[in-house]
Amino acid sequence: MRVSITEYLDIELPSRRWLCNRCDADLGPADRSYKEGCLIANRNPQEVHPVIGTDAHFNFSFDPEWIRLIEFYCPGCGTLVETEYLPPGHPLTWDIELDLDAFERRHLPGQISGGEMPL
Amino acid sequence: MGELMNKIRLHDGLVYDRHAYGMGPGRDPELLAGGLEPPSELELKGMESLSPVELEVFQHKMTSIVEEARDVYMALSISEGIITGDMNTSIFTAEGDPAVVATGIFFHTLLNYPQVKYILKYYRNDPTVGLRDGDVFFFNDPTCGGVHTFDMFVSSPIFHKDELIGWAEVGGHQGECGSISPGGFSPTATTRWEEGLHVGALRIGDNWELRQDILDFFLNSVRNPFVFASDLKARVATCKRIRDRVLREVERRGDAQVAGGLRKILSASADLARLRISQLNDGIYRSVIFNDGVGLESGLIRLPTTVVKEGDQLTVINQGVSPENDKGPQHATWHLMRASMGVYLFTYFFRGLSPNIGLLEPIRTLVEGPSVANCGAEVAHGEGTTISAMNVQNLHVIGSKMMFDSIYKMSVSAPFSRNVMIYVYAGTNSYGYRAANFTGTQNLAGQGARFDMDGEHASGFYWASVTDAGEVEESDMRLPMVTLARMVDKDIHGFGKYRGGTPAVEISSAPVQGCELTTRGASDRLSHNPGLFGGYSGPPNPRFVIKNVDVFGQLSNREDEVDLSQYSLAKSHVLEGDYQFSYSSKPTEHFKYGDLFIHSVGGGGGYGDVLEREPEDVMADLRDNVISVEVARRVYRVVFDQETFRVDDEATLADRQLAREERKRRGMPFEKFIAEWSKLRPSEEKLRFYGEWPEPNAPGYSRLFWGLFV
Repeated sequence: MRVSITEYLDIELPSRRWLCNRCDADLGPADRSYKEGCLIANRNPQEVHPVIGTDAHFNFSFDPEWIRLIEFYCPGCGTLVETEYLPPGHPLTWDIELDLDAFERRHLPGQISGGEMPL
Repeated sequence: MGELMNKIRLHDGLVYDRHAYGMGPGRDPELLAGGLEPPSELELKGMESLSPVELEVFQHKMTSIVEEARDVYMALSISEGIITGDMNTSIFTAEGDPAVVATGIFFHTLLNYPQVKYILKYYRNDPTVGLRDGDVFFFNDPTCGGVHTFDMFVSSPIFHKDELIGWAEVGGHQGECGSISPGGFSPTATTRWEEGLHVGALRIGDNWELRQDILDFFLNSVRNPFVFASDLKARVATCKRIRDRVLREVERRGDAQVAGGLRKILSASADLARLRISQLNDGIYRSVIFNDGVGLESGLIRLPTTVVKEGDQLTVINQGVSPENDKGPQHATWHLMRASMGVYLFTYFFRGLSPNIGLLEPIRTLVEGPSVANCGAEVAHGEGTTISAMNVQNLHVIGSKMMFDSIYKMSVSAPFSRNVMIYVYAGTNSYGYRAANFTGTQNLAGQGARFDMDGEHASGFYWASVTDAGEVEESDMRLPMVTLARMVDKDIHGFGKYRGGTPAVEISSAPVQGCELTTRGASDRLSHNPGLFGGYSGPPNPRFVIKNVDVFGQLSNREDEVDLSQYSLAKSHVLEGDYQFSYSSKPTEHFKYGDLFIHSVGGGGGYGDVLEREPEDVMADLRDNVISVEVARRVYRVVFDQETFRVDDEATLADRQLAREERKRRGMPFEKFIAEWSKLRPSEEKLRFYGEWPEPNAPGYSRLFWGLFV
């Protein structure tokens, strides 16, 4: 079975693999970050966020000397699965580190469900 | 603590579960960092008498009381912050726990338990103070449980005969507080001694009458005595309304059921919070956000948030936080960090549950200190909300990632805009009295995009989405400024499959008599408005003013139509003048008649990949004037006729496929990316307030706690 964890990422059980839910590309083991299975780009944020005005540093866009736009792409379909805005060289964020044993207990058939929507 | 917490290694020599400062006049660390008080015998008796249905009815009754009080307080006040909703009203238990909270600024109420508990612990049995029916207490000191000195509160005990049943509490953003800059916010402040009045808890009235000597002391300490006195009386009147309404319920139900009902609201809320948490996936979740200054000076500041979710418990950890500094007022206290979380949690994460401090019971708060997030007592605190909001933004991102795989998916969204920039206008207003405050433009921030729809434009205030922007004709009278326009504007929100909401931009001018302007802010070169799941962040918003422009003269002499939007002014300089774009925290400065202020508080982050946005929705954004042609083409990759906005579906599909191929060529495998990325480092000038790079407070550890280095 597959469980959607984000808009674009599923975890397959019982294999415990990250999968792109747009193209089924394998993004690696779920006990590691899906980011390790992505293609990653370091972009100048001004390529996305338009500069408005005439000032070199204060222009309603990001100053690329302060912050970089990190994009994580699915290697299969090129979907942009996540972004980070980080100072140059700052460690990437391991954002979702699930307790996979508990995850399996919750989702595999015969296990306790996540509960019902309260009225 | 469970097994996941074993992965967390807190640094030696730092504090996490309490404040970085100790006892002081009016403050007691045990009360500041403590949880709910145990129920009294009276409360236990009342709790037993209430069935779940009766508790629900009682809770609705109490909620109607604080919501009515909110209307009363807003109607009686004459300062912009209160009128537009930067305030709250509430009922506390007899022991001082916030039990019923109105739909204002949740964290205002969540902060004021230490002062009430201090009164109970130290003053009630002190013969020089005491505690009686009709007493009025005032507090505003950020180290004693408050926010910043310009958020001011009043609380009164609710006695039935001789039995203490609960407390009424009312307060909000008063503004002027005698600090070095008019209107409260003082970006030049580097110690608490520059931030005006500091009152831990002071009895200012007996039998619902203010003591004249104390009132005179206050009025002699602030620049706007007329406004201060009027709003203080509004708070007292509102407290009395709450007290009278609660006592009416006591007459109907008896004192035990009212006191016990208030306490039972808290325990029932805590149980519901645990249930909701238990329905989410266990794991460790992380998010990090940065600031680009500390006050007047620039430099990177780091605020990371880690959430460990195990069973029905959350542990929120701020570890690797930049150290405190002596250069500015952006310092939060432990209690502010905790209470601020309520703004996200109550609105999104615990959506549908009654807002009160019981919801925080299953949440352990660990804030590394001393740091900018858990600071000492001597530093300046006036902009601590900048730091605590960074944590809230992280928590919003984390909460959405926790809830996507749950029955609570409807709360999944990018965070609300928090690129708060505040323009505080000071001077003599049209009525002839002195005033210093901001306008309701604060309450026109953009909402973050949601998992199934766009964020709302000009949606509300970051700290309380249920707010009002106010009437510009009225704010023009009450403040020394003139509003010329409010509008949504181009390219200042986060792009995505669903886009964030754009803020309203206010274009205003100094009036005939001129005015003083103090600006404070953050995120001028970077942003605090992250996107979600591939959505782009809302952009930065720096200070933008135009001096020597004589806008009224130029407009009256022009025959053509002048586009007074931020976009047009910044891009095309459609009026002649001295255009100034700068870091947003600035000392107080005089502006003369006709000078222009361009002000907004930022747009919400986007959700999902921009290439999945429906082309027709992109065209709608163009028609609504919230994106430029450049964004439609270059970011959304929609091919269209620029005169008719008709989409070429086939060409768009092809161009978007081309964009995906470009991404795959541009992207690098993880190990190759890290090999290049980890060689980079910001300049030393940018890191002067940061702490050790890349993880403050972790110089001795061989493996960084945070990142994904291989």
